[in-house]
Amino acid sequence: MSKPNESQPINDIREAAIIKHFRKNIEKRVFILTEAFPFMYIGKIVNVVEDLVEILVQTTSIPALEGKTWIVHIHSIDVFYIETGVGAKIPDLKD
Amino acid sequence: MKRSYHVVAIPIRIVLNSFGDHNPNGMMYVLKENEQKVKEMVKKNPFSPVDLVQPLAIRANEGDTIEILFENKLPFNTGIHFQEAEYDVCQSDGANVGLNKDSTVAPFKTILYRLHVVKEGNYFFSDLGNPSSGENGSNSNGLIGALCVENRFSWWTDPETGKVLNSGQYADIHHPILPSFREYVWMFHDEMEVDDLTGNRPINHFSNQEEESFHGANYRYEPENRRQQLISEGVVCPNCQGEEVHHDSWVFGDPSTPILRGYLGDPAKIRVFHGGVKETHVFHYHVHQWFSDPNDLASEIFDAQAISPQSHYTIQPLYGLGSLHGSFGDAVIHCHLYPHFVAGMWGMNRVFNTLQDGTQCYPNGVPIKALLPLPDREPPPKPTKLKPGFPNFIPGKVGLKAPRPPLGIIGGRGLTELERNAAIENPRPGAVFTDPCPEDAPVKEFNVSLIELPLTYNKEGWHDPTGRMFVLDEDIEDICSGKKDPEPLVIHASAHTCFHINFTNRLPHILDGDAFQLVTRTYEVGMHIHFVKFDVLVNDGANVGWNYDSSVLPGETAQYSYYADVELKAWFFHDHLFPGAHQQHGVFGSGVVHPRFSKFLDSETGKEVNKGTQITTSNPLIPDYRDFVLFAQDFTHLFDKNGKPLSPPPFPGSPDDPGLFGVNYKNEPLQFRLGKECDPAYSFSSYVNGDPVTPILKAYEGDSIRIRLLQGAQEESHSFNVHGLRWLKERGDLNSRLENQQHIGISESFTMEMHIPRSGDYLWAFETEEDLWNGLWGLIRAFDEKVPDLITLPDRPEPLKRSKPLPVCTGTKPPPAEDPTSAPIKGPIRYFDVVAFQTSIVYNSFGDHDPNAIIFALRKDMKAIKEGLKNPEPLILRGNVGETVEVTLTSLLKQELFPFQDGIYPYPIVKEQAFYPPSLRISLHPQLIDYDVKTSAGETVGFNGDQTVGPGESRTYRWFVDSQVGACGLWDMADIRNHKSQGAFGAFIAEPRGTEYLNPYTLESDTTGANVILRNPLLPDTREFVLVMHDGVRLLDKNKQVIFDPVDGILLASPEVDEDLLDTYDQGSRGFNYRSERLINRYQKHPMLHDLFSSKVFGDPATPLLESYVGDPVTIRLVTPAERRRSHTFHLHGHRWRFDAKDSNSRTESFVGFNVAGATRNLELLGGAGAYNGFPGDFMYRSGNIRWDIEQGMWGIMRVLGELKEHLPPLDQ
Repeated sequence: MSKPNESQPINDIREAAIIKHFRKNIEKRVFILTEAFPFMYIGKIVNVVEDLVEILVQTTSIPALEGKTWIVHIHSIDVFYIETGVGAKIPDLKD
Repeated sequence: MKRSYHVVAIPIRIVLNSFGDHNPNGMMYVLKENEQKVKEMVKKNPFSPVDLVQPLAIRANEGDTIEILFENKLPFNTGIHFQEAEYDVCQSDGANVGLNKDSTVAPFKTILYRLHVVKEGNYFFSDLGNPSSGENGSNSNGLIGALCVENRFSWWTDPETGKVLNSGQYADIHHPILPSFREYVWMFHDEMEVDDLTGNRPINHFSNQEEESFHGANYRYEPENRRQQLISEGVVCPNCQGEEVHHDSWVFGDPSTPILRGYLGDPAKIRVFHGGVKETHVFHYHVHQWFSDPNDLASEIFDAQAISPQSHYTIQPLYGLGSLHGSFGDAVIHCHLYPHFVAGMWGMNRVFNTLQDGTQCYPNGVPIKALLPLPDREPPPKPTKLKPGFPNFIPGKVGLKAPRPPLGIIGGRGLTELERNAAIENPRPGAVFTDPCPEDAPVKEFNVSLIELPLTYNKEGWHDPTGRMFVLDEDIEDICSGKKDPEPLVIHASAHTCFHINFTNRLPHILDGDAFQLVTRTYEVGMHIHFVKFDVLVNDGANVGWNYDSSVLPGETAQYSYYADVELKAWFFHDHLFPGAHQQHGVFGSGVVHPRFSKFLDSETGKEVNKGTQITTSNPLIPDYRDFVLFAQDFTHLFDKNGKPLSPPPFPGSPDDPGLFGVNYKNEPLQFRLGKECDPAYSFSSYVNGDPVTPILKAYEGDSIRIRLLQGAQEESHSFNVHGLRWLKERGDLNSRLENQQHIGISESFTMEMHIPRSGDYLWAFETEEDLWNGLWGLIRAFDEKVPDLITLPDRPEPLKRSKPLPVCTGTKPPPAEDPTSAPIKGPIRYFDVVAFQTSIVYNSFGDHDPNAIIFALRKDMKAIKEGLKNPEPLILRGNVGETVEVTLTSLLKQELFPFQDGIYPYPIVKEQAFYPPSLRISLHPQLIDYDVKTSAGETVGFNGDQTVGPGESRTYRWFVDSQVGACGLWDMADIRNHKSQGAFGAFIAEPRGTEYLNPYTLESDTTGANVILRNPLLPDTREFVLVMHDGVRLLDKNKQVIFDPVDGILLASPEVDEDLLDTYDQGSRGFNYRSERLINRYQKHPMLHDLFSSKVFGDPATPLLESYVGDPVTIRLVTPAERRRSHTFHLHGHRWRFDAKDSNSRTESFVGFNVAGATRNLELLGGAGAYNGFPGDFMYRSGNIRWDIEQGMWGIMRVLGELKEHLPPLDQ
């Protein structure tokens, strides 16, 4: 991935930065909200390949989808929070 | 594509069931190709139902043009009016409206209708040549039908033969890309004339009185009365009572009513139509759920859905037949209104798990008709001797009640060999043939019992001596000993819970007789559940078709199992064996399925709980909230403290609207809240009368709350309103519209999610006049500071320590509310000077009038109104988003101008009439816009200050228009008996920011008036018409005689007035905007039924004439501020609009159902005036209720002009 420079469109810069941030946090837990089904999930970042992130989903609104690895297009994520140890902890949710 | 049908309207004898009940004067639409055939078959089978005698169902594809050659073989003019379609109104309206050419057809003549069907969906059609509601009317006698419009490129075949189908209620629909599906037309209808085999009105064999009126589907009904007769005559099931086996095919064989057949997992659409004339029904379908709007994945999920006359929707069961968990067997479909269910309005969906090729038989030897598998699905396995498939593995005996399920009853039986072969690998109690619970789902167990105990509804000692209710076993002692106040059982759990229920029947065998009902042996009961997933064969808590009877006898315990797959709303539960006999005594409850990971806390102590109608819910991911559950009830059998029955029926056992009303086993009638000063204006005041005994929903300012609204009993529509708060109509969709009113019928369930912006007392009410009068109201109390009996929501800041004592009841007049105008103003301000006074209103040119009306008007208009220069119209105010609105209200009411000084109106009446003298105080309450309830709600509620005004007094309300909500009702809340139905209402319209309002004829600026042009720099000029639909009006005719509508307005009325006509909530006249064009007046002048809407014969009607040019953008603002419980459908010919104007995914329709007190809607006409095809002409707007609205004057004309007229300037586009 090329370094940001002034001639790059701002969206490219933003997208590259998000991918970088996910890659930096492999093995960390992440909380994600999306506009599309199933809207919310929590899991561990397993890997990042180009603009796709592999997540081992621990919790989502549909229990049948839990415990599986999902490949998610990073730019379809509306809101995310990665547990880096600095901010709040993502709760461990149990039924 | 062009598609052609030749349709004939014929007289036909309609045999409604296998008992020979029939309509000798039936009428139907039929394809020409079937006309002779159906006539011959009816001739040969005069006392048996004939398959071809069914409401005509024809099909087309989206985008088609349909030509209908219509031939009339009835002895009066008829036509076909198609809803939803676009057409040239002068040629194809199927009516004779305004200045149009007559498009009804004289006897033995023909006409060609040409229709354009723009969107996939349900297109209802019916006759408008004969709009009479009586026994000679065409609609009640069957002149109704369905046009199903499919996706483009679809075709359809016969489910039995696979041959191409031209018409028929069942079809398999195929498409080159989309999955094939089963299509079923379900046509509710009511009030049909019925004779028994002897040619007389059917008699109830138990009471020896005339049977309840007809309620059925697809020209069939299967009454309990008929089936019960076979028991009482010893033909079948000698030990049965009747209601518990009403739907049992083991006892009686299958009913004559529709059985919708399919295979497990088949995709399906049920096209539900209401072709009836009067009642609002509730469609309920066991096991399955669906989106309220099939194309909108953010829409609400339903499993019971009300439907009002001439409206419709499509039900697409989620996951196909058998639902997610694959439950096969019989799923009953019925109107949930018990008197209708008992009268015969039910059928079922039969889901087979083995192939039916026509060689199999039901257990009673009746052949099972072939059913072709859908071509794109794997066929089910063929039946074998060891695995014969449903229903032939069930060990029942024909003529006797269905057997009990295996494993389910503690101490009961195991499985037979055939059952074991049919069962899942590891059957368990409540999950034998399918297991709804995933292996890892956490289990929650509840021990539930059904008990009988007296229930006291209010402080006056009104009580039900044979109350019956669900309780948790651990609470039985506390409730029976009086330590805990009885309330409907509500259990709580999170999504992804597997419920294990141990249900014990602790009722006596006998429900005692009294003034309301006869002694009934209610010896077995079940716990039937909605929404959750379950094995229908063993777990339905019911006794349906060829399924098991999953109920238990007294002292027995059944083990049920359900699964809540996702966050659901409040799921309803009730008994399904004797609900007609005892559900109105309190036999209902609910489970709430909350978001996963929720914790449920007692709102007073903070301890974890698993039940309660008011709890606090805490969740790690979403805001914590207060959870409140309200159940509306009617047909409540109450006695006063001296044992006098209250509003008993004409005879015990009569379904003729017995009893009163309740909410959570309580009511707070207004007749007891007059206080020392006898002023109705303070009926809702806790200063004068203390708090009501009905639920007070407690929260702190800023809290999120969810109200779960259900109706537990028994037959009627109710209108739930919350004053000062609002919610998204579709909870999960931010594009949805805001509402603060919800119509509800029995078994429906709604969740209203909102937050409370400010402290104060907010009124919730079931707000039709009779409901409110009899006590269906309470409060949402939002505290500003800490109180000891309410914990703080765990994620909200702790409220401030209490700095002042809580207010208490003083028994005296409440203090005046603070002046809202002293606070800083937000945005531009708009002032209105409004007066309330008494005047006469002339409702039409025939002299029908209300001499004692009360109206709101701008002060500047009062003189002209009082001098008779201006006939009053409802006050319409407008303001734009971002504006503050100040309304100064002055009361000019005079004591001597009230016609009934004791407040007891001899007509129209309410149940339990009582002294309630007219208040001289008045107020103005708005819906939906933003205000502080403590100063500007326009009502005096709870411990809020007085916001009403006395004679000569003025008060200013301040409202803020924070959202473009469009139509908002306005009405008086000072005296709901003596003011509102007399005209004390209007509307406020919240318009887009920067809008100007122009008089459409002068183009001068005009902020009030029902007809304006909206001019906005960012939007096209739009014509806005405000229609105020209202009923319950007391009118006098030109000779000053009281008009006893609806009876006085009936065309071709039979000489004897049926008692049913006198239901309190049907009483009174009705119309739009203080006008009513009663057809009887026209008929007396010119007795030709099909001409009654013609302006060529009568001139234009008195109701508002909505004038525009072809293509003009038009918005209709529809409000129903008043007054009765009968819900009305609104329909505009030839036009459609998005059901939810704010939601681009919304379905488009040409009707609005459920117009009852508080309903509002904004109708943005698609394609503008004349619709997309731009047809000029007169389009009728009207009620969809043939009985008793159209006759009684609820109709008018939207005139779409094709050429420029001098009196109406064109829009400046």
